This record gives sequence, C-alpha cells and structure tokens, in this order.
Amino acid sequence: MTGIALRLLRHRPGSVLATLIALIAGVTILTSMGALVESGLRPLPEPQQYANAEIVVAKRDLTITGKQLGDPYTATVQLPERGSLPAGLADELRKVPGVENVAGNADALTLQASDRVAVEKVAASAGAQVYTGNDRVLVERPDIAEARGLLIEVGGAFGGYVVMLVMFVVAGTIGLSIRSRRRDLALLRATAATPGQVRRMLMAEAAILAVAGSVVGVPAGLLASRWLGEQLVARGFVPADYGLSRGLLAAPAAVLLIVLVALGSALLASRKLSGIRPAEALSQIAVEPARLSKVRLGFGLVALTGAVSSSAVSVGAGGQAALAGAVSMLYLFVLAVALLAPWINGITARYLAPVLRAGWGNSGYLAAKNLAANARGGATVLTALVLSIGFGGSVWFLQDNVERQTVQQLKSGTLAQYTVLTPGEVSVEKLGRIPGVEAVTPMRQTAVIVKVLDTLEVVPAQAIDPAQAKATLDLKVRKGELAAVGPDSIAVSATQAASRGWKVGDEASLWLGDGTPKRLRVAAIYERGLGFGDVVLSTATFGQPPTKLLIRATPDAVPALKAAIGQSATLIPSEQATAGVSKDLAISAWLNKLLITVMIGYAGLAAANTMTVAALARRRELAVLQLAGVTTRQLKRMVHAEQAGLLGVSVLIGGVIAAVTLTAVVYALTGGAVPYVPLAGVLAILGGATLIAMGTTIVPIARLLRQSSLAAAGTRE
Amino acid sequence: MPLLTADRAASAAVRVQELTRTYDAGGQPVTALDGIDATFVRGTFTAVMGPSGSGKSTLLQTAAGLDRPTSGRVFVGDTEMTRLSEAALTRLRRTKIGFVFQMFNLIGALNVEENITLPLRLSGARPDRRWLAEVTHRVGVTNQLHRRPAELSGGQQQRVAIARALAIRPDVVFADEPTGALDSHTASAVLELLRSIVDDHGQTIIMVTHDPVAASYADRVVTLADGRIVADRNQREAEAVA
Repeated sequence: MTGIALRLLRHRPGSVLATLIALIAGVTILTSMGALVESGLRPLPEPQQYANAEIVVAKRDLTITGKQLGDPYTATVQLPERGSLPAGLADELRKVPGVENVAGNADALTLQASDRVAVEKVAASAGAQVYTGNDRVLVERPDIAEARGLLIEVGGAFGGYVVMLVMFVVAGTIGLSIRSRRRDLALLRATAATPGQVRRMLMAEAAILAVAGSVVGVPAGLLASRWLGEQLVARGFVPADYGLSRGLLAAPAAVLLIVLVALGSALLASRKLSGIRPAEALSQIAVEPARLSKVRLGFGLVALTGAVSSSAVSVGAGGQAALAGAVSMLYLFVLAVALLAPWINGITARYLAPVLRAGWGNSGYLAAKNLAANARGGATVLTALVLSIGFGGSVWFLQDNVERQTVQQLKSGTLAQYTVLTPGEVSVEKLGRIPGVEAVTPMRQTAVIVKVLDTLEVVPAQAIDPAQAKATLDLKVRKGELAAVGPDSIAVSATQAASRGWKVGDEASLWLGDGTPKRLRVAAIYERGLGFGDVVLSTATFGQPPTKLLIRATPDAVPALKAAIGQSATLIPSEQATAGVSKDLAISAWLNKLLITVMIGYAGLAAANTMTVAALARRRELAVLQLAGVTTRQLKRMVHAEQAGLLGVSVLIGGVIAAVTLTAVVYALTGGAVPYVPLAGVLAILGGATLIAMGTTIVPIARLLRQSSLAAAGTRE
Repeated sequence: MPLLTADRAASAAVRVQELTRTYDAGGQPVTALDGIDATFVRGTFTAVMGPSGSGKSTLLQTAAGLDRPTSGRVFVGDTEMTRLSEAALTRLRRTKIGFVFQMFNLIGALNVEENITLPLRLSGARPDRRWLAEVTHRVGVTNQLHRRPAELSGGQQQRVAIARALAIRPDVVFADEPTGALDSHTASAVLELLRSIVDDHGQTIIMVTHDPVAASYADRVVTLADGRIVADRNQREAEAVA
C-alpha cells in the first residue's frame, strides 16, 4: 500500500504541502522545547569548591512527605534562600560510626563516611540534605540549581500545552486532508480495497509525511534550540557554564511523537471513514452523511461547561502559573467550539443568510447555502480560526497585563521618595535621625513556601520592618493593619488569602525562604500582591539583611543620606528603582513572550493551512457551479462572502473566548475587572485573522478557477 | 415472461432472492427495491432498465456487493455475499467482480497500467502478463499504458475501466451507465467492445442503462419500476423467433 500511498501523495501537492508545513513546524517546536527539558535534566557539571569532599551536607531543598487521600506523596522544592545548618549538627555527625573529617560551617559541612544512609538520617532530622557526586555542585552553585528548575518548569508547564497544540493541529490537518478525499477513497474501496487496506494506506501516508517533515523539522529545531540557548545565557536565565543541551535526545523523541500523532490522527480519521460506502464512488456527488451524533453534542456541552466553570479555579499565583491556567481554560473553550462547530455553523448560516444576501447578492445566497450544507466540513476551519483568535486575543495581553499591573502597583504603592540599593550594613537608626528623614523601612525580597494539596509552592514575599511602613508603603490594606505584623504574624495578599482560604486572625502554616517551618497569624490582607509579593513578613521573623531601604524624606536630606550610606550603597529616586524593576520584569517575561509568540504563530499557521486544504478540496464543487452558469466573478464573490461570514463568526466567538479568559485571569491576579487591551493589539489580531482568512482561500480558489471547469468536473476531486 | 427454473439457477453467475432495500430520507423511509428475485446466467449480457428512481442502480450496487440490502440474499456463484464481513466482501469483489462506472472511476494519481492492475495489486496477486497484454490489446489501450487518465478522452478512459474490470478474470462484470457520459459514436464502440467480450470470452455482464440503444446490445433486458421487475425480455430469443 505504501507505493499507492506515495503515488496518491504526489498527485495532490497542495494538501500535502499544507500537512508537511504543519508537521515541519511541529517537529521544530517540539525539538526545541524538548531541548529545554533535556537541558534541565542533563548531568550536572563537576563541583569546584567541593571537588575533594566526599559528602556535603547542606540545606538547599525542602522535602515533605505525607498522605493525600491515602496515597503517600513526596514533594521537593529548591529553597529560595540559603538554609543554614543548626550549630550542633557537626557534632551529631561526628558521633555517627564511620564518619571522619567533618569540617565546614553553618552553610555546609563536608565529611567522609562509610555509611551514607546513617548520615542521611542525621541530616534529615535537621532538615538538611546529603549531596554526593556531581550533585555537590548544587550546594556551591545556587544559580545552576535555579536554571535547572526554570528549564524543567518551562518545559513542563508550557511543553505540555505546546505538545497538545501540535497534536491538535496535526490531527486537524491530516483529518481534513483525508476527509477531502472521501470520493477517491470510496473509489478505492469500490475497486477492491478492504477497509483495512484503506486504513493502512492512510497511515502509511501519514507516517511518510511525518518522517519527511522531520527531515526538515529536526535540523530547524536544532538550530532553534541553539539560538534559544544563546539567548537564555545572554539574558541571564542560565549561567554561561551550564552547558545547555542542543536537543540530540529531544530530536528523536520529537520525531517519534510526531510520527505517533500523525499515525493516530490518520487512524482516527480513517475510522470516521469506515462508514464510507463503496457505492459512493458511483454517485455523481459525494455527500457527507448529515447525521450528527448526540454524543458529540453532549461532549461539546460538557467541555463548554467545564471551560466556563474553570475560569474561577484555573488561576494560580505568579506569571507562569497564571499563563498555564489561562491556556488550559482556552483549550477547554476551543475544544468545546471544535465539538459544537457543526451546530454553530448551521445556526450562523441560517442567521447570516439575509446578511450575506444583502451584502453579496446571489453570490451571498450561494455562500449561505454552502455554509449551511458544509456545516460539518467547515468545523475544522472555524475551529482553527477561533483557536488563533482566542490565543492571540488572550495570552499575549495577559502577559502585558501582569507586567503592567506589577509596575502600576509598585508605583502607587511606594510612598517613599528614595530607595537605597545594596544597603549592606548601613544603620537604619542612624539614617532615621538625619533631619528631613521621616521614615526608613528596610526591606528584603524573599519568598516563602506553602503547601498546596500535595505539592509545595514558592510564593514571592517581602520581609520588612513594619514600624514606619505606613509612611513608606501603601499595600492597599483591606483588612487588619500592616503595623500589626510582628514576629508571629504576617500580612497576605488578597489573591493568596483567597486561594488559601486565609482570613485575618487565622493561623497560616508555611516555611520561610531558608526552610524554617513557621505557624504565623494573618494580621492583615492587602491588595497589591503583584507589586509587593503575596506575603509580607516582619524582619523580626526573618532576620536576613535587607536588600533595599525605602526612605521617605525631603530633598534637602539627600546629601546627608548619601554621606551616611557610604560608597557601596546607592541612593536613587524611587521612580528610578521602579523603572529598574519593570526592566527586570520585561527580561524575565521574555521567555514567556517567546513561547506565546510561537504558540500564536503556530495556531495562525494551522488556520492558514486548514483553509488552504479546504479551499483546494472544492475544485469539483466550483466546477459544477461554473457549468451551471455561475460566472467566475460570481464564484469569487461567493467565496469572499463565505469567508466574511466565517471570519465574522470566528471573530465573535474567538473574541468572546479571549475576553472571558483574559478577564477571569486578570481579575484573579490583580483584582481589576477590566483587563488592559491596547487598540493596536486588537487591530493586529483582527488584521492578521482577516489576512489569513482571505489570503489562504482566495489565492487557491483563484488558481482553481483558472483551470478548465469541464476537466475538473469530470475528474477526481 | 420466462420464469427461472432450478436447472438454470445452477449455471447462474449472480442470483438475488427477495431483495429489498429501504433508505431513510429525512425520517421518511423510501423503498428502492421491493422484493426482487432474479438470476443472471453465465455468459449472458443483461441490461437493467427503468426510469430514474426505479431502483436499477440500487439493484446493481446491492448485487455487486457495493451496498448491503435491507433484507434478501445475493449469491455470486455459490457464495452468499450477504453473509460476508466487509473485508471478506471486498476480497470477493476484487477476485470475482469487475466494475465499470459511468465516469470518474479511474484513480488520477495512477497511470493506465497501474489503474488496470490496481485490484490485483490490492489482493496481492501477481499480474498474469499474458492475460493483461491480451486485455489491453482487446480494449485497445496498449499504446496508452503509461499515460494518466487526465490525458485520455472519455472513451479511452472507459476502455481502461473495462480493462481493469477484465484484468481479474471476473465471474461477472457490473456496468453502471458505462456510456452515460460518452458521445453516441464513442458509446457504440464501447458497447460493441462489451458485446464482443461476452461473445468471445463467455463473460457475464450486467449493465444498468436508461438508454434503449445501449440496451439493444444486451441478450436480455430487465425493466424495473418502483423497485419491482415489471418486464423481463430475452431479446436474442425474441429475434430468433421473429
């Protein structure tokens, strides 16, 4: 069958090209995404500082074990701050039989031991871990551990969604290209191919295309991952000596995945064709069965309900989690549209008929009839358009909204006019005594760890001295008092309070950045969590030195302040500090934006592809219309009217989906009910969708119309 | 009207018994075949005629195993087709039954030779070169073997389709309006070809047509109306008597 499959492929270059493009882009994306994960999982480099230590004991991770619904689980996170070892640990370890040469400090201990397990036991009782081999590098290089975590998180959070998108697109394109050949396949069945042979032929064809796509996609993916690696290093996401993988393991995995997806899609599409009657080859017009299953309607409604209700749940804290939540919500919506598309198309065709007729006359009349008759075939086109509009209209703006809100909250929440960066050992009291200085608030950017179900989540936090904070910070406290935050209490953001179910007066269990477990009372709930972190601790709870000082003072105090802080610290106006933060935000958002661009681009490509295949499959239908006396001009107008109708519906549905997703996620993150959407962005998405919808249909249709209608009507589709 | 007797049934190429076929057309059941009994004798050329909607195409499709009857039985030789699975039915079709459709029945991606050998290839059989040479010579497409269907005229395409049907040495050839899309000159050449295949090789042919001229080439004309046989005329015998 492979021989016949190849011959059939050569004969329809248009739809083969469309499928190939989807596959090539898919392999390229999967290879470079895979390279990220591969880099995250690759062996660590040799340690330097601890090169000669057999065993290193340090506190760098937090691990918990427990039972969730009877299932035992273990969760580990990297500590946001370096953990220090208890003073007595060295002596405890010396007591372990076989342990020799214990040396080190509160940061890490090195030793030799004959019984590693015994050492682990003692270390674990102090909340510390044992590192041997190349893992020792994790103790001396927290930046490597961090890069590793980022790569795995990005690969995990986005990788899954990218894989789903690629599967969705490949399945749709292959399914459509098979459906468009229903007649050819009926003919093959009539001229004696068993259903199994047709299925094997279609699968052989899909496999050939997937392998051919990989031939181009893998080198492209390797190049892309090389570029991505350089960018990650240049932008400081990954240390230069990390040694990123180039995707040599990811490439075969990507090829395998794409071949399996292609085979699966072909199998699925050929199963749908199993109802094909060989007798269809004899009839003049191939008509798809009009019966629509109630099961499909049921699943569609379930997906829709799921998408609507997920808007409340899907949102986690932090940019990555929020984006992941938004994308999963989008997927549910798009899945619902894909399932319900035949009904949507049917209904809109009915309501659009007068509009199209008014706008395009007889061509509009034909267009409405086509949309109604082809409600099922149009499903793929509608889904592809909705997918790209929904994607373009939400995730990109979401990232912008998060950045904008963060900066906005920082700006309006910082009452102090001046900020001291890298304050070192500067005495806060001394600064406070300078004439013209009203208030000084030391602040340390840190993070705490909370348990969420059976996982651990790192939550951004600030440790401040709340004494004078009222004059330097406005966190928009909704309940309680910021000044009430003391050694045994915290303030939490409204978002965090809502998702954890914390109220003022409740006890919150968490771990400090260095892994110290704490039970702290919630003293206040505030709104500006994006700008200032979701948890505010007192410096009395977390005593690490501050990373900056917020100073409220009159301008004439500046010279004295500058003199007092010395050479190593810098004093800048707070607006300048905020600008610095927004620049940092843009840098850290770069990776998100890149991934979003790739996803939107791929969705757009899928839409373009789908429409080209759908247009090329209409050769026969157009020829019949031409023979019936419809002029070329009228046909072109008919196609315009159809596309305008489809585009209108897609923009409407995609726009609603994007709006609901964006509003829900932005509300959950910022509390703002109206997301910020720049007009230029909206125009870009509308323009892009129009360009795709028109360009990918009108060009192939014009090409078809140049061919002889008689020949087209008389031959295959 | 000559009724079929048991001894003639023994030499039947195709036999249908109490064949019915109903369709569901928008909730309304439509009866296309309403209890057809017929036997098609080996080595004969039968034309099935009738107005549009009389069920003649449905009879051909169900008798040829392209469509399944609602009730009734279909035998090709001694094999009861109606009992076979879809795959087994396909295997039977490609070894025992040849088809010639009205039009659009060649695979555009394959050249003439590949189209002719397609059923053989699908059944994994090795083509009998001598037989193929004879068939292609017989239908007159020997010089076009490496051309694509799109490069051929309608009459030539139909000759290729006939060659494809004969290539498997079928027990019976079904033809659905084989001349429906041809001009009268080309049509008569194709019909003469079919007639000569019956005369020279003892091939059984069952042809659906609405054209009385086409039907005049057949030995027997069965006429359907509203899913029933309303006339069954053996015209060779009639000529002999006349």
